[in-house]
Formats: sequence, C-alpha cells, structure tokens
Amino acid sequence: MSSHYEAPIRKPLIIGDKNYHDVTVDVARPVEGRANKQWWIAFAIALAAFLWGVACVAYTVGTGIGTWGSNKTVGWAWDITNFVWWVGIGHAGTLISAVLLLFRQKWRMAINRSAEAMTIFSVIQAAMFPVFHMGRPWLAYWVMPIPNQFGSLWVNFNSPLLWDVFAISTYLSVSLVFWWTGLLPDFAMLRDRAITPFTKQVYGILSFGWSGRAKDWQRFEEVSLVLAGLATPLVLSVHTIVSFDFATSVIPGWHTTILPPYFVAGAIFSGFAMVNTLLIIMRKLSNLEAYITVQHIELMNIVIMITGSIVGVAYITELFIAWYSGVEYEQYAFINRATGPYWWSYWLMMTCNVISPQVMWFKKIRTSIMVSFIISIVVNIGMWFERFVIIVTSLHRDYLPSSWTMFQPTFVDAGFYIGTIGFFFVLFLLYSRSFPVIAQAEVKSIMKTSSEKYKKLHEAHDNHSHSEHNHH
Amino acid sequence: MKALYKIALLVTAFAGLTSCHDNSAPNYQYFPNMYESVGYETYSESASFANGKEGQLPAKGSIPRGFTPYEYENSTAGYDLAKANLKSPLAPEEVDEAKGQQLFTIYCAICHGDKGDGKGNLSKREKFAGVPNYKDRVITEGSIFHVVTYGLNMMGSHANQLSQEERWQVAHYVMKLKSEL
Repeated sequence: MSSHYEAPIRKPLIIGDKNYHDVTVDVARPVEGRANKQWWIAFAIALAAFLWGVACVAYTVGTGIGTWGSNKTVGWAWDITNFVWWVGIGHAGTLISAVLLLFRQKWRMAINRSAEAMTIFSVIQAAMFPVFHMGRPWLAYWVMPIPNQFGSLWVNFNSPLLWDVFAISTYLSVSLVFWWTGLLPDFAMLRDRAITPFTKQVYGILSFGWSGRAKDWQRFEEVSLVLAGLATPLVLSVHTIVSFDFATSVIPGWHTTILPPYFVAGAIFSGFAMVNTLLIIMRKLSNLEAYITVQHIELMNIVIMITGSIVGVAYITELFIAWYSGVEYEQYAFINRATGPYWWSYWLMMTCNVISPQVMWFKKIRTSIMVSFIISIVVNIGMWFERFVIIVTSLHRDYLPSSWTMFQPTFVDAGFYIGTIGFFFVLFLLYSRSFPVIAQAEVKSIMKTSSEKYKKLHEAHDNHSHSEHNHH
Repeated sequence: MKALYKIALLVTAFAGLTSCHDNSAPNYQYFPNMYESVGYETYSESASFANGKEGQLPAKGSIPRGFTPYEYENSTAGYDLAKANLKSPLAPEEVDEAKGQQLFTIYCAICHGDKGDGKGNLSKREKFAGVPNYKDRVITEGSIFHVVTYGLNMMGSHANQLSQEERWQVAHYVMKLKSEL
C-alpha cells in the first residue's frame, strides 16, 4: 500500500467510509428501490411536455412549416437554434467520458455514465429538428446515398447539412456503443443482485453475459481507450460540422472561420452546464453525494469557466474582426446584434455566457452548490440565445434592406422545443431509475487511491513508515 | 435445413410485400405530392366544364394569330370555284418535296398508294373499293387543297391532321405524282 504514490494535495473523490460493497449498494439502490412520489410527479410533467411536443410536431407535419414563425427571410430560427443547442449539450458527455479518459482524469468516473446518458438523450432531441424542420419529412430518407430507381440519383456531398446527417448519426451510434460497453459490468452487477426473475432476465440480457474475467477486463480497457480516442475527434468534428451549416454560408455574421472551434467551446460550455444541473439534482435525490462531491462540481465549474472564457474570447474576436474587416455588411451585422431589434437577446447572451462563468474565479462561488446550479441554468439560457442570436440576427438583416424582416415564434415553435425538453427528461428520469447512474466498476478502480477512507490509511501508514524506516 | 426455412420465409415475405401490385390497375404510390396536376392538362377530364372535357371549342368566328380562314365553302360549287381559282400561296422555293412526300406517305398512301395510283394497302386488301387513280381525275392544286380540307365522298377531312401549309405541300406533291403517272 505504501508503494503507491499519490500526491497528498489531491482531495478524495469518494467521501466517507466506503468499501466496494457500499459502492455497489449505493449505485444499485435507485434501481432496486421503488420510485417515490416526486419522481412520478417529475415524470408526469416531463411526459405531458413530451406529449404536447408530439402534438405540436404532428400539427407541423400535418399542416406545414408555416405553422412556425419562420418566414421567407428567416428560414431557420427556433428549429436550428434548438438543434444546435441540443447537439451542444450532448457534447459534454463525450468530453467527460472520452477526453477526460485520455487525460486520465479520475474524477470523471463518478459522472461519466450520466454525462453519456445526457449525450445520447440530447442527441436524440437534436436529431428530431433536422427531420421535422423539413418541409417534407417523409422524404428525409433521400438524404441517404441509397441506390435507387431515379437513375440512381445521388446526394450532393458538398452540403454541410448532409455532413450533419453523417456527423449526428455517427455521433449517436458511437456514443451509444461507448456508453453500452461501459454499462456491461454494471448491468452484470445488477443482474447478479437481482431478486426477481424478471429483473434478472432483463439485466441478464442487457449485460450480454459479462462475467468479468481478466481477459474481458483487458479487452474492455482497450476498447474503452480506442473508443475514447475515436470519440474525441468525433466530438470535435460533430460540432464543427454543425458550425459549418453557418460558417460555409455567405451570410454576414455567419461566414466566419472562427465558428468551428467557437461552437465546440460553446458546446462544451453548455454541455457541462447541463451535466452540472442534472448531477446537482441527482446526487441529492439518488443519495450519491459521496461520489459526486463538491470537488466534482468545482472541477466542472472550472471547465465551464475555461470554456466560457474561450467563448468570450471568440465573441471579442468576432467583434474585432468585424471592425477590422472593413466589410460594411459584417460591421452592420454586429452593430445590428448589439443595437438592433434583437439587442436584448444579444446582451442576454453576453451576460449569461461571458459574465456568469467569470464568477467561477472565486472559490467560494465555484464550490457553492446552489450558485453552481443557478449558473449552470443561466449558461444554458445564454447558450440558447447564442445560437438564436447567430441564426436570427444574421438572417433577419443581411445584404438587401428590402429583405429585412423580423422573426416571431409561434406556440408551435415553442411547443416543439418544450416537447424535446420533456422527452429528454422522460428518458433521463427513466434512465435514472433503471440504469446504474454511476459507473461503479470504474469508481471501484479508484477506491484504493482516491477514496477518503484509503487516503487516511495512506496518510497514517506514510507517517508511520517515515518514523520507522524513513524510506523504502 | 434451418437455413432453408429462413430462405423460404424471406421469399414468402418478399413475395407477400411485392405481390400486391395489380397489373390491371395503377400501382400504389408513396406520398404522391405532385403526381396529379393542379392545372388543367390537355385532354384531361374535369367537372369544371359542361361536357366534362378540358378541350373546349373556341368561339365561332374567332381567328387565332397566324391562321387564315378558308374562304371556299364545303359544297360542289365551292369545290368548282377552288378548282378553278385557288392557287398555292407557296413560292417555288418554299415547296418542300421531301416534306410533301413524308406527309403523303403518312396520311394519304394508305388508300391512294405510294404512287397515287389508287393502290394503297387498304385498297389492295379490299377493305373498301373505289379509290381513284390520280391519272384518271382532273385535279388542280386548288381542288386537292379543297378536298384535303373538307373531304369528298368517302374521304374525310384532313384539316385536323394537317396544317394549311402542310396541306399545300401535300397538294404540290400530289400534282407531282399525277405528272409521273
């Protein structure tokens, strides 16, 4: 034990006197127990919102896109705003599970499962917008290069909207595989603990016969690392491709080379904020405070602060370049953002995205769960407005003043968005009651290096051995 | 054996899915968004018209641009007048023998024969008798135009099939055939 060296500066990632069995029990408790009244209330609200969204989508598809507030000038508004917003939120999950794995960040272990779940559920929400913002969604399969009877009519591979199709579908499938691979040992744990034949059957199927042999673990680790290595460029490219929807256009305010990294930074920013929102609630309701500690929240806040600052730098860069370019259209686009009819959305975005993460410089604030929770919600509002501002303010006033117009969302725009939020929470609430929300197998792997109990043991042992033999 | 069952199942499923098309009826369509015309298509049927036909007759006496009404009336007197007075409006360089031959072959030769000797396919097969040889008839380009326009006895009007200019080309060609008989 004393051969292990870990810097004493590192704070424990598992609080309390926890052993392996405690981890199992704590993770399995929400799955094995029964849902309480609050869960059912939350689920009912989410389900109602979801069904309302279904109704709005059915109305849109049945009646037409004209039920939305988009017009001839502003062809993209809430649909693509929400699409980019949801995709962005999804990015934190992959970042936590893949990038932080590559950087050997042990703190990711308590949060990666839920972050990945969040990724998958939010990408599902995102994927609905490209389909239902189509005028003829029933012909959506035409975006696939499938051999056909139109003389094998093909898709044009030059459109970023087609790249979106490939990016999003690849992202969803890789994330799903990555998530599920990690779930195998945890499902096996639930299977082995199952009391009823039904749950045993269910988790038996879900765990794919995982038996935890050395060879399995060895390959499991390799697969995880390879997938992390694949998912990292994927996560960067997906939101880059999403940003290409705008960056490759000729619209002043859109045609910017900074968009790809700036969108990715914004995605991580908003994604981490969403993870923070969810985990702050989850650690409390599922009694996982020993695993999702204030340190986890603080570290997420630091990521939010860093990415928020990157986003802030991007905003300033855009403003500088607009001025520096000497292109009157570009200059006007930014003057319009700051002082035009949508000034309030621009300044709301600026306030939420640039100022709010800067409070995280103060330790007192970033270690406060309450403030973190509020800021995380503020950030997501700000990031929604960032996409709204980029899309709508660039479109509603561009080259021809005779095409200038305004955008006014309808209740259907809002209903679809509310519906996706509802659907997200339906999925997340179901997940939190049927899936092991913490990767217990991974958490157990840091038990002896990073838990409070063992850290104390190390400390005691080190002090002891120092007095006895000075060194080993 | 198990694979055989699977193949049989797949074939059955495929046959079941594809056999619903009835050859005596139009096939099923997937979202026929712009398959049916919104506008009135030529020759289509529509309840919007009294006789249900898209092709409505123009008002009597109206003259479309580029059309000259034919002044000789459909009677023996008209025939004689046309025979005597009607002359081709085509200048000699406008007479296109090849075109006249093509039109003659399509519209006339089936009865009159390629040479205009009255030995067309229908005559040879004795579908009907009495197709004259051009050699035996006194015809002028004016009378030919008149007959092609109105028809005469057994022969029907060809004004529907041939434009005025085409009828004159045919008339010139018929005169040429007659000169060769």
